[in-house]
Amino acid sequence: MSIDRATPAEATQASSSNDSVGDPSASRGIAFRRIEPFLYLLPAVLVFTLFLVAPVAGTVVISTTDWDGIALDSASFVGVQNYIDAFQDSGFWMSLWHNIVLIPYFVILPAVLGLIPAVLVHQLKLRGARLFQAGLFLPYIMPGVLIGVVWRWILNPVFGPVNAALDWVGIDAPSWLGDFTWALPTVGLIGAWAAYGFCYVLFVAGIQKIPTELYEAARLDGAGLWQEVTAVTLPGLRREMAVVLSVNLILALRAFDVIRATTNGGPGDETQVLALFMISAAFNANEVGYGTAIAVLLAVMTLVLSVLVLRLFREADA
Amino acid sequence: MTMQRRTLLKRTGAAAGLAALGTTALPYGPAVLAAQDDMTLEFWDTLNSDPRQTIVEDLGASFEEENEGITVEHRGWTLEELQDTLPRVVESDQGPAVAQVNNGESLMGPMVRAGQVVDISGYVEEYGWAEGLPAGLLARNMYSADGTEFGTGQLWGVSAEAEIVGFYYNRSIFEELGAELPTTLAELEETMQAVVDAGQTPLAFGNSDGWTAIHMFGNIHGTMATREYLDGLIYRSGEQSFDDPTIIDAATKYVEWVERGFLQEGFEGITSDDAVALFESGAAAMLMQGSWQAGTVSENLGENAGFFLTPPLDAQAAATPASASPVASPAAGGAAVLHVGGVGIPYSITSNAADPDLAAGLINELVSEEAFSAFVEAGLLPASEIADDQITEGTVSGDLYSSWNTALANDALGHYLDWAAPGFYDVLVSELQQLLGGQVTPGEFAANLQEFYAASFE
Repeated sequence: MSIDRATPAEATQASSSNDSVGDPSASRGIAFRRIEPFLYLLPAVLVFTLFLVAPVAGTVVISTTDWDGIALDSASFVGVQNYIDAFQDSGFWMSLWHNIVLIPYFVILPAVLGLIPAVLVHQLKLRGARLFQAGLFLPYIMPGVLIGVVWRWILNPVFGPVNAALDWVGIDAPSWLGDFTWALPTVGLIGAWAAYGFCYVLFVAGIQKIPTELYEAARLDGAGLWQEVTAVTLPGLRREMAVVLSVNLILALRAFDVIRATTNGGPGDETQVLALFMISAAFNANEVGYGTAIAVLLAVMTLVLSVLVLRLFREADA
Repeated sequence: MTMQRRTLLKRTGAAAGLAALGTTALPYGPAVLAAQDDMTLEFWDTLNSDPRQTIVEDLGASFEEENEGITVEHRGWTLEELQDTLPRVVESDQGPAVAQVNNGESLMGPMVRAGQVVDISGYVEEYGWAEGLPAGLLARNMYSADGTEFGTGQLWGVSAEAEIVGFYYNRSIFEELGAELPTTLAELEETMQAVVDAGQTPLAFGNSDGWTAIHMFGNIHGTMATREYLDGLIYRSGEQSFDDPTIIDAATKYVEWVERGFLQEGFEGITSDDAVALFESGAAAMLMQGSWQAGTVSENLGENAGFFLTPPLDAQAAATPASASPVASPAAGGAAVLHVGGVGIPYSITSNAADPDLAAGLINELVSEEAFSAFVEAGLLPASEIADDQITEGTVSGDLYSSWNTALANDALGHYLDWAAPGFYDVLVSELQQLLGGQVTPGEFAANLQEFYAASFE
């Protein structure tokens, strides 16, 4: 066996035999070995710093300035004033409130919509389930803007199919996306439609991991379909649940593309959410410092909430 | 011995990785900077589709021919992209020598203050760019030298195209109803009522994207406001308020139009493009839109379409123009109303231009007689008076050109209200949607606008 193909153990032996006392290169060798692992990390650390740490730090710095986003020397340091302004801005609270209203639509509804077909496919051993699965997953792979454009067309009050059908059965339907009462629930439902495919796939994968013995045992104990679901399937899906809820929660807080493409915050400010409010402040009102402060607040809120959700499930696990 | 080779391999591997990272992580290498050649004249604008793109690129080519050794490069953007990119690129000493800089606080103000555009007043005089344009239009491209006062001081840009918002109408629907072209706002309302009574839609309108409501409100308000008031608002004299009887009256009138069924049913949920499509399919008698829509309207409706400007409030108002220069031609509605419109986004010279004289020469090409003729031939509206022999009566563009000439002669071009303050566009869109949706009263609408406007002075 050549030492060229040394196993790690042999290599250690060989190198330690090299580190004999009195060898002037020995201490350099030790120093190098100490920093060697960090050198391997260096490329990744550099990329990470350049594309994540630096922009995040830059964002935080900009959020403490009054800046129009054009010439850097026109920026002036204002400390936490932008954050104080945000807390005193009714537009900020209104946008946040709309995000909160959207949580049931973006978080809970897609989970339920994904869970029902996943359980049905599994319990009833449906034929053609694969085709069915592909169809259910389809909305999730569509870009949000495309979903928005398609739904805007479907819900078009003048020449869209939904209102035409409702009109045909004698219902005078509103302009869903332009109506002050209906716009927010409507974008919420569109968002749920866009997100449930992801929940469905996770649940299907999770159900397949549940040992079949558990179902057999439940059946021997005389459990019906409903009891099987509540006693075996749901507890077995706890981890998937945690992932689905935290991912959807993040999506609800940073909701942007679907809303931008359907209502762009309208009518009035009925569907204005934090991400749209941030864009409007930073790029339409040329208050980049203020918009950036809102971005930081949004990021912090998202982080805190998702940590909370994950912790909740970890405790339930333990 | 063998160990050393292994370590060496690892070391070089790491070094190679770092080297690769170095080249990809620094996009602005010296090679990119060197591409900024004096002999290349780059210009950016929003003319990113035909026929406009071909027209400007042809003009760029003829400038190349006249100036040996100069390469002209054109890049057409969408307005939003140009707006977001331009100031940042110029700030890093890159980008074009000539670019369209959107008027007012949306971009020109900030760029003047940042020293990113060049004062072109001298070139304006040298080349005569201001000839034939009324003072009201030139003021749009003016800012004080420090960029704090809008509508006064130096000229920072010159426009090639113009725009005016008015009514496109369907001639056969008008004929069926026996309706004449309205000469007063009351007559326009009578016509719209007649269309409603006939079970049809008077005005194609879609407001989910919001900006057409700004234009429609602006035109209604333009029948009631004086130039002194409107200029004061837009140029931010600090003396005018949005909480004004004319704003409230115009809002009241606009709500009345909704209540009387003059606007497309379901307008809240459809876009302005939908509205254009509906009008072009013959589903509505009229469409309030800008001159930029003339091409597709005439493509789809042909000679069945016409154009007229917003008529004045009443016959008495028609006789006393709102503007200082009373050139009488009230029949076309060109007088006494401050129409939404003006000159298009102006071309400016950026601080990045290596040779401002050369850049000015290129702008002169873009606003030349040949340029204007090419625009007219393509059915577009140039920023100058249109010669009579280029106007064909009985067509959409013919109606449009004579309306434009009338408005120009009367200095009867108003403003886009969203220019009043940075971020005001979003506020207007939201407030107008609330007004038309019955969520706020005209009085609250005016007060809300004023609240935001006043805060913009702080």
